Amino acid sequence: MGVPGEGLAKGLAVTLKTMTRRSHTRQYPDVEPDLPPRSRGVIALLEENCTVCMLCARECPDWCIYIDSHKEEVVVPGAARARQRNVLDRFDIDFSLCMYCGICIEACPFDALYWTPEFEYAEYDIRDLLHDKSRLGEWMATVPPPPPHDPNGEPSKEETAAVKKAAPR
Amino acid sequence: MTDLREVTVGTGAGLDTADMVLNIGPQHPSTHGVLRLKLVLDGERVVSCEPIVGYMHRGAEKLFEVRDYRQIIVLANRHDWLSAFANELGVVLAVERLMGLEVPERAVWLRTALAELNRILNHLMFLGSYPLEIGAITPVFYAFRERETLQAVLEEATGGRMHYMFNRVGGLKEEVPAGWTRRTREAVGQVRRRLPDLENLIRRNEIFLARTVGVGVLTAAQAAAFGASGPVARASGLDFDLRHDEPYLAYGDLDVPVVTREAGDCHARFEVLLDQVHVSLDLVDRCLEMVDRITGPVNVRLPKVVKAPEGHTYAWTENPLGLNGYYLVSRGEKTPWRMKMRTASYANVQALSTLIPGCLVPDLIAILGSMFFVVGDIDK
Repeated sequence: MGVPGEGLAKGLAVTLKTMTRRSHTRQYPDVEPDLPPRSRGVIALLEENCTVCMLCARECPDWCIYIDSHKEEVVVPGAARARQRNVLDRFDIDFSLCMYCGICIEACPFDALYWTPEFEYAEYDIRDLLHDKSRLGEWMATVPPPPPHDPNGEPSKEETAAVKKAAPR
Repeated sequence: MTDLREVTVGTGAGLDTADMVLNIGPQHPSTHGVLRLKLVLDGERVVSCEPIVGYMHRGAEKLFEVRDYRQIIVLANRHDWLSAFANELGVVLAVERLMGLEVPERAVWLRTALAELNRILNHLMFLGSYPLEIGAITPVFYAFRERETLQAVLEEATGGRMHYMFNRVGGLKEEVPAGWTRRTREAVGQVRRRLPDLENLIRRNEIFLARTVGVGVLTAAQAAAFGASGPVARASGLDFDLRHDEPYLAYGDLDVPVVTREAGDCHARFEVLLDQVHVSLDLVDRCLEMVDRITGPVNVRLPKVVKAPEGHTYAWTENPLGLNGYYLVSRGEKTPWRMKMRTASYANVQALSTLIPGCLVPDLIAILGSMFFVVGDIDK
């Protein structure tokens, strides 16, 4: 064993060293944390893109997405017959059940669902965590642009889609 | 009056004390969760110890049977919530082996880097919480400072801080963001530079040594008999590390140095954890070097519905806490017919029944904390 009190002295030396450094503390309600764009905070819904295919609700591992819809006849001028269209009546996500896995977002074939790093939606009652399509739609404004991919890998699907669109036909 | 007279008082006779049965847990702060230990005490000395598990059983194996392989990853990364990435890895390795899939090289190296980052995060948690349990509150702040640094890069790549959900059958969910490897290297450098703070505080601290050296000695034979693995077994001199002995992912090219100790006591277990952090930091650096060199996709294009062909396989990985295995039986459906888990903590806590008898009650907490388990991993 070394000198008595050596552990204490060493500990105090570390404390002293840390004391001279700036603290990492961020004054949260006044200072927003900077979260990466991929951060899984909440799921936003872009209602216009939803075709009520129900893939998200079926793929969800704990079935926390509730969808209701009805069919509407759309008369297109010049067309022989009236077309049928799905209209979304209800799109609720129960965030008290959601496991934040992102499978619904991955499964959506029409890009109607997005992750956003927004996290300030705590409630006092667990029942208030069921959010409807208007609330999910409000979060669309907070969806950040996806980060560019590492140049060594494949470009993101957003980039590939943009290049395809820009290319002359 | 010089001759002594013996007087018998009461019915028990003499200094004999009755054995007392004491329950530690299921709600006890030192058990990090709901592990219950049924102890028989003779005064301050523990006569026998029976770990009673199952208070947090969530039926994960049964749930796997009604989930497809992507949904299984969600559940599988939750049983040991401190090693989510390593848990996901076992599942996808099993499915990939059954399907005969070859994963792109870039994905293999990225997976290895992420698995090692996850190992460091897990170890830092225990390096902070273990001293806390035996009375040193400061190390946990330093451990969490480092955890935060590494969690930031993991969140940047995966979007999650605990349940990464980044593995998919055939590779990873998506490519990492541009500049991620550089930022990860910086984070690893920072942690390596600041880790001596934590080490100086606790590694050779005399109070910590007094509480842990020679306490709770697990012999190599006992460790092997109970199926203990990971840092707990290696601290007893059992030189067994799947990353070295049966390499998966890119570990075959890395030649992982195995950290072992001979003593098998609480301090040896703590030291193995601490030294493994250094090893893992180096491994992350080497993986990132390869990631920067390899170009290509990080996943294989698969049909919407992934079905594993009929058959069975056992995939085991060296999780931060020990061996983690998945026995997958498929009948060609999109869900497994059966998926059995072999978890590290479950086997490791069984050794408590030989480790604890004979020790004193205050040592009990020191031993319990040094077995490094997660209750979710025990009860599944």
